[in-house]
Amino acid sequence: MLTGLDIEGTTLLHRTSARLKLIVLFAVAAGLFAVSNVWLLVAFAIIAAGLYASTGIGLREAFRRVRFVLFTVLLVALANYLFHSLSDALAVLFRLGTLVLLAAAVTATTTVSAFMDEIAVLLRPLERLGLLRAADVSLAVGLVLRFAPEILARYGDIREAHRARGLRARPLGVLVPLVILTLKDADTIAMAIDARGFRRQ
Amino acid sequence: MEIVFSDASVSFAGRTALHPLSLTLFERRIGIIGLNGSGKTTFARLINGLVRPTTGRVTIGGLDTVADEEAARGRAGFIFQNPQHQMILPVLAEDIAFGLKNRGLSATEIAGRTEAVLQRFGIPHLARRRIHELSGGETQLAAIASVMVTGPDVLILDEPTNQLDLKNRRLIEKTVADLPEQAIVITHDLGLLDSFDRVLLFHQGRLAADAPPEDAISRYREIAAC
Ligand SMILES: Nc1ncnc2c1ncn2[C@@H]1O[C@H](COP(=O)(O)OP(=O)(O)O)[C@@H](O)[C@H]1O
Ligand SMILES: [Mg+2]
Repeated sequence: MLTGLDIEGTTLLHRTSARLKLIVLFAVAAGLFAVSNVWLLVAFAIIAAGLYASTGIGLREAFRRVRFVLFTVLLVALANYLFHSLSDALAVLFRLGTLVLLAAAVTATTTVSAFMDEIAVLLRPLERLGLLRAADVSLAVGLVLRFAPEILARYGDIREAHRARGLRARPLGVLVPLVILTLKDADTIAMAIDARGFRRQ
Repeated sequence: MEIVFSDASVSFAGRTALHPLSLTLFERRIGIIGLNGSGKTTFARLINGLVRPTTGRVTIGGLDTVADEEAARGRAGFIFQNPQHQMILPVLAEDIAFGLKNRGLSATEIAGRTEAVLQRFGIPHLARRRIHELSGGETQLAAIASVMVTGPDVLILDEPTNQLDLKNRRLIEKTVADLPEQAIVITHDLGLLDSFDRVLLFHQGRLAADAPPEDAISRYREIAAC
């Protein structure tokens, strides 16, 4: 969900600190499972949708971002309807729907660096125990968000290249060059992290 | 800034990529030319310690690139051959700001410097753009901004105009020409070197010429011809 897709703005959610948003998100997530009244859950979903819309994201983009997850939620609800009851299914639908919309609202209004800072804070106790370097883990999260689209694009390129040569793009045939190319890049990326002093203390 | 190579050489797994060489660089505009695999990148990476000399030493402004690694590295900014790979955060302004972290600056100062460097290179409109969506010319400018924001004294560019169309090539050439900082440029774009003070030609891991542009380029043409 946290795909580094914040949109520019100065709305209330944009101005709220990343930490507060994340804490509220987790609190609400936990709290929602204590609620089973469908009408109450519907009200929550409406509020969540309102918050999501208040980010200024625009209807089309708003829908594009959550449609896949919402579709999954719908399937889960459907399964509940088949195996349990209609009220169970509706509760699941609006409970998870609320969560998805809230998470999308937080994502749309929080920058990647703010996320990384919060991750670093969260991991600080583990760092004190000497288990890891919090800054490194948060940098890794940033890297994943940065390079995921590139790796996906490359995956597409390699498949294309296979097809152009009349080869069937078998998973392994695509994966091997993908891993090799990615590792080659990883070398340069690691070097760039040093060159730009990202790991200085 | 004075960069001094003292008998510095580089081998990778026993294969010599750069034979021992001693020289001092202090000119404002220095070009590096040579065939593919001749050792240009290896030489340039020695300057900010990205590559360590196998023998000898390299200093920049008196700082040893191995013993004073971090401080030495701060003096020389490096633009990689593929600058996409040196942008680490998804959004340009965030990537630039990230380079200023852990330097004892306030959030306001970081935002101010980020804004200023985007202005300096004429790309404030790219601030919120995703790195992977930038065009070749935009990426090159973005990378330069992200490196210059930390205030290095020297900028090293590895084939900055290589993949660019004519218009963007001119833009980057002009950006490099206008830099008040010292610049060391690896390039196959020989026209770029006209106004340079000194050009180093590498051939098979050795310095084959160290001369004003015309002389180094004519020697390069001889080497390329045979
Ligand atoms: N990290 C490395 N590991 C092994 N060999 C390398 C490495 N980097 C460069 N080389 C080798 O060193 C030689 C010089 O490379 P390089 O400096 O990249 O040349 P240029 O930039 O002039 O094309 C080449 O033969 C290259 O294969
Ligand atoms: Mg090279």
